[in-house]
Amino acid sequence: MGKVTDWAFHPLELKSAIILKCLRQPLFPLAESSLSVTKKRCYELLNLTSRSFAAVIKELHPELRDVIMIFYLVLRALDTIEDDMTLDTKLKMNLLREFDQKLDLQEWSFDGNGPDEKDRAVLVDFNYILYEYHALKPEYQKVIKEVTKEMGNGMADYIIDENFNLNGVETIKDYDKYCHYVAGLVGVGLTQLIVIAGFAPKSLYEDEKDAELPLYESMGLFLQKTNIIRDYSEDLDDGRSFWPKEIWSKYSSTKLSSFREPDQTQKGVECINDLVLNALGHVEDVLKYLSCIHEQSTFQFCAIPQVMAIATLALVFNNPKVLHGNVKIRKGTTCYLILHSRTLSGCVNIFEYYLRDIRKRLPVSDPNYLKINIQAAKIDKLIETMYPDDNLPKGLKPLDTELYSKVKERTKYDEAMEPIQTSEESKFFSIFLALLVVVVLPLLS
Amino acid sequence: MSEISSVLLIGGSGFLGLHLIQQFYELSPRPSIHVFDVRPLPEKLSNQFTFKLDDIQVHIGDLTSFEDVQKAIKVSGANVVVHSASPMHGQNKEIYDLVNVKGTRNVIDVCKNTNVNILVYTSSAGVIFNGQDVHNADERWPIPEVPMDAYNETKFTAEDMVLKSNDPENGFLTVALRPAGIFGPGDRQLVPGLRAVAKLGQSKFQLGDNNNLFDWTYAGNVADSHVLAAQRLLDPATAKEVSGEAFFITNDTPTYFWSLARTVWKADGHIDKNVIVLKRPVAILAGYLSEFFSKLLGKEPGLTPFRVKIVCASRYHNIAKAKKLLGYEPRVDIEEGIKRTLAWMDEDL
Repeated sequence: MGKVTDWAFHPLELKSAIILKCLRQPLFPLAESSLSVTKKRCYELLNLTSRSFAAVIKELHPELRDVIMIFYLVLRALDTIEDDMTLDTKLKMNLLREFDQKLDLQEWSFDGNGPDEKDRAVLVDFNYILYEYHALKPEYQKVIKEVTKEMGNGMADYIIDENFNLNGVETIKDYDKYCHYVAGLVGVGLTQLIVIAGFAPKSLYEDEKDAELPLYESMGLFLQKTNIIRDYSEDLDDGRSFWPKEIWSKYSSTKLSSFREPDQTQKGVECINDLVLNALGHVEDVLKYLSCIHEQSTFQFCAIPQVMAIATLALVFNNPKVLHGNVKIRKGTTCYLILHSRTLSGCVNIFEYYLRDIRKRLPVSDPNYLKINIQAAKIDKLIETMYPDDNLPKGLKPLDTELYSKVKERTKYDEAMEPIQTSEESKFFSIFLALLVVVVLPLLS
Repeated sequence: MSEISSVLLIGGSGFLGLHLIQQFYELSPRPSIHVFDVRPLPEKLSNQFTFKLDDIQVHIGDLTSFEDVQKAIKVSGANVVVHSASPMHGQNKEIYDLVNVKGTRNVIDVCKNTNVNILVYTSSAGVIFNGQDVHNADERWPIPEVPMDAYNETKFTAEDMVLKSNDPENGFLTVALRPAGIFGPGDRQLVPGLRAVAKLGQSKFQLGDNNNLFDWTYAGNVADSHVLAAQRLLDPATAKEVSGEAFFITNDTPTYFWSLARTVWKADGHIDKNVIVLKRPVAILAGYLSEFFSKLLGKEPGLTPFRVKIVCASRYHNIAKAKKLLGYEPRVDIEEGIKRTLAWMDEDL
């Protein structure tokens, strides 16, 4: 289906795309013309490595924009070393384990990546990144360095983990641990940066860091698990697998790739649903985390990937296409999600919408039928404790839980967003009306 | 005194009563267990229970008779009385008044006159329900001014009497437990009712959009909450904060009404391919029509507006208070509870 017809069948998404591209004003536009040479190059590198992520970072509050840009580029550099199969293993191990020490240097770069390594420019021009890293406040530098050290060591550990490389992920615990190194650590770092900036309460990090599964950890794990479920086919083609054996072995007595066989589709789909159930276990924490963010651009930065993830999770749920190829949410859906996730209540509505979609398509015959319903119900219950006012008998005040207090605080910022959204809607309507007149008038004459 | 030395289970021959026997039986050291009821224990016990019938002493009598109840208490030497006797739903007001109100008043009077220390009353989560949605209700929720029905009205009257008779200074402590949607082996209403619906071919209909949350509670967990309440009342360190209080008791895993129903049907080997969804207003209209035509034909209507409202309403509860003050946690989950219930039904006792 071509793009035009695709848009035509989803008018709400088309409207969202137009508003997003033409009418929405960034909160903190980046003035690219006034950037220093080094900073300009850093933003170019950001664009090269991830255009969509770059767009979100550029709209961040100035206090955090450069910090997160540098954090992202440093981690991308680490990824580039880890991904490069042409690098000698010993060299790679040393680079990964010592990468945090490179951040202490005034100058360092690396041109040893293979010529086809996609993001090698990040390492070739690492000098620019170092310069801007040292321009950051010391507290920010410290966080970036600590995360880099832990992630580098984690990556190195996996490279020499023979069992992991031969058999993939074994237990659910291993699965969570792997996702921690790949994505959870990013949440650890970002949370500290956000707290240092004063955009979230200290408790978001201090009260959580000793928990078995901190809220910020779930933010990373939810995204990563969604990607792992979606990328089954792609990963198998690359000779990798990240689905935990503890889950998939319930549905296949031979090997993970057997789900591609025509007579194993049903089992493969049931396995997908079991993995989705596991991922949904993080949603309560995601909503709690988002309730704590009170700076608007930072909120959007955190919320956008999460609503994309729940939409993707709904897409892969009970979907046999996952077993044979790539599945992606439509561009229009992305635009719609970005626009409607600018408030906490908007995020909650999005999560609720997709949870209901999942439940609607959940076959009664699924082995996890009741468990998935109960997990969705737990999330619904949490949402009702976040917004209890409409459901209480007359005269009864809501329980003043910590979460409720945070939601009330967050609601103030949500209310500030409403006139902006209304303004965008009416601008769209005016333009639409004008276009209608232009199109229809000639037909009448 | 810190142990349950002897317990009298009023209503112990009933559905919940058997689970109460089981839970008290499992205590160590095991208390002396006595049952007071209008009927004896069943001759044949379900495999779901492990207690020995010979170990339980039964007293047959009239709940509203002071002499009958007093005799049972004296013979048992009970320091704990659990009162779970209650008529089933669907009966007339006179029965409810007699058992729930007059009977409970009698129990309180006898306990006070016979130096019983602890009275645990089985109330109902329905005491706060009036047909409106119940979202995450806790014990602060008000009692409706207009009761839903005679059953819930009399349950609340009884609960209120029990809690108001709490008298720590004179060594008489009371508590009321409000379980929601009790099911399990011995259940004659919930799971068997759903099974009957499937057999009639009505499981292909869904009333409402299945977004309403419902609490079910496994009977063994409800019984466990009674044991915990009794233990907390006997412990001077915890008695003060527990006595005179009501507690909601659930499985703490509310889920959507029809998803629960389908789980029962599925466990029974029944899965509907195509489900016909009737929106709430349409279903209520169908209920009125069904009621109307059933009256014309002199038959009992299966579908009524009342039943539609019941299955379309959210009814779930916040049990934080029971968790905190009683140390309650549901030990048997819903899926396991359904499995045990169906296993009991298949025993065909």
